[in-house]
Amino acid sequence: MNRRRLVDYVQLGFYWLSGLSVLLVLLAIIAYLVWRGGPQINLEFLLERPRGTPLGSAGGIFPAIKGTLWLVFWALFFSVPSGLVTAVFLSEYGSRWRIAGLLNLMIQSMAGIPSIITGLFAYALGVVQLGWGISLLAGGLALGIMIFPVIAVSTRDALQAVDNNYRLLACSLGVSELYALRRIILPRAMPGILAGILLATGYAAGATAPIMVTAAAIISSSSGAIFEPVMALPYHLYILFNEHISMDNAYATALILVVILLIINMMVLWLRSWQERIKQK
Amino acid sequence: MNAVEMSNFSAWYGRKAILDNISISFVNRSITAIVGPSGCGKTTLLRSINRTAEMEYAFSCRGDLQVFGKQVYQIKEVDTVRKQVGMVYQIPLALPLSIRENVLFGPRYHGIREQSRLDYIVEDCLRKVALWDEVKDRQCDAAGRLSGGQKQRLAMARVLAVEPQVLLLDEPCSSLDPASTGLIEELLTSLAEDLCVVIVTHNLFQARRIARQTLFMLDGSVIETGPTDALFSNPLDERTRAFFSGLIG
Ligand SMILES: Nc1ncnc2c1ncn2[C@@H]1O[C@H](COP(=O)(O)OP(=O)(O)OP(=O)(O)O)[C@@H](O)[C@H]1O
Ligand SMILES: [Mg+2]
Repeated sequence: MNRRRLVDYVQLGFYWLSGLSVLLVLLAIIAYLVWRGGPQINLEFLLERPRGTPLGSAGGIFPAIKGTLWLVFWALFFSVPSGLVTAVFLSEYGSRWRIAGLLNLMIQSMAGIPSIITGLFAYALGVVQLGWGISLLAGGLALGIMIFPVIAVSTRDALQAVDNNYRLLACSLGVSELYALRRIILPRAMPGILAGILLATGYAAGATAPIMVTAAAIISSSSGAIFEPVMALPYHLYILFNEHISMDNAYATALILVVILLIINMMVLWLRSWQERIKQK
Repeated sequence: MNAVEMSNFSAWYGRKAILDNISISFVNRSITAIVGPSGCGKTTLLRSINRTAEMEYAFSCRGDLQVFGKQVYQIKEVDTVRKQVGMVYQIPLALPLSIRENVLFGPRYHGIREQSRLDYIVEDCLRKVALWDEVKDRQCDAAGRLSGGQKQRLAMARVLAVEPQVLLLDEPCSSLDPASTGLIEELLTSLAEDLCVVIVTHNLFQARRIARQTLFMLDGSVIETGPTDALFSNPLDERTRAFFSGLIG
């Protein structure tokens, strides 16, 4: 075996090793959660509200699941339309306007803001200034601000990944740029855009800090009323763990949260492969 | 009557001058060929006329450019210019739609709704580019699956469907076999009865076969222009002579 071959093998081995270790960490987390939390999970745990003293030591987590879904809904409500519009501006008109560079920079920096600070901002604005109180709406706003840069950037990149010649061909036929965008560019970028939104959804579903100060309650029916506080999976988990209420239930809650996130990420992967298939067409 | 008139027209990408003081005219109802070595600015010239060059980053231009007597760069709605001046590009690329919707992309936007009219446009345009027989049974298939040459002809059908008055073609036959090239040349000759056709070609024989006028470009300037036969048999400029005898480009 000559030297170059040896170097190749070492390199390949290194890739395998690092890939495997990442996979191992992930599997270890899931296995541990299944081992610790799995036995608690049953229909009652999924469909009942928390009970027992202290609260949460018995019963289930249904309002937390519901609350997380509501929070995600409002987060998307606040971030998807604005994120899409921003992305379209950046990708389609960006090169012609000087403020686009500034906007890019701002979005980049926004992505770097620690989520607790986003939460405090939403607290100051929504909870205090606008008088919403600790509420679903304020939590949705906090999460929305948090995931806005994710959506804007991923959508911008998905749009920019569309072959520029399509814009050229379409516009050469005398149609407006917006028409070309609607009929050609957006459909073509759609899987990538949806993947970005889903990724952001997962990010919002798992975030704890922004909702701690804006929306989360230890107990709530999470009815969906926008000015009421809600329960949320990550916060519930935090409470169970931090107040030593029930380690077993904490792990079970974590398992449910992770399963939800895994499902979301699987959908992202599937959308990505869909995008690849579209590209080859 | 001249369909396109340029005088002292210059264009830049960033700081780099691509077209240098071009003064030319394209006669209506006739075919003009543009020849010249790769990178001399042929595509940029065509894209300046239909105002798509400005879609590129940092494009700028100066000078006079008229299409049927109207100053192109003073028109507010670029869409109307682009509709009037159709262009087929170098890269054979279909819009990511069905074959049928490729042809109808322009007409639908420009307000044609009637089903029978749309059907007519599809068949008429595809027949003109000699594609109808190949695709009539799979009009609703994705156009991306067509071969390069078929895509090129589809591109032409797409442009014809908008009924332009000036037709710019950037090496439209580069991925076609001799038979389809012949058909396209026939088509262009018949189209030239009604409109102004400008074709960029690397095939000097093609220029000779179909073009009434030929224009030779080098490094962003028009070196020589004139009736095709005269240009080929008796070029006035040394550089034109060199190009035609295969010394440049
Ligand atoms: N978008 C762009 N940005 C910057 N420079 C460009 C751009 N497009 C073309 N150019 C430059 O402009 C010059 C002319 O290009 P153009 O495409 O017009 O040449 P061409 O004559 O069509 O060549 P070919 O026969 O190879 O198609 C080239 O030097 C090219 O590098
Ligand atoms: Mg070219």
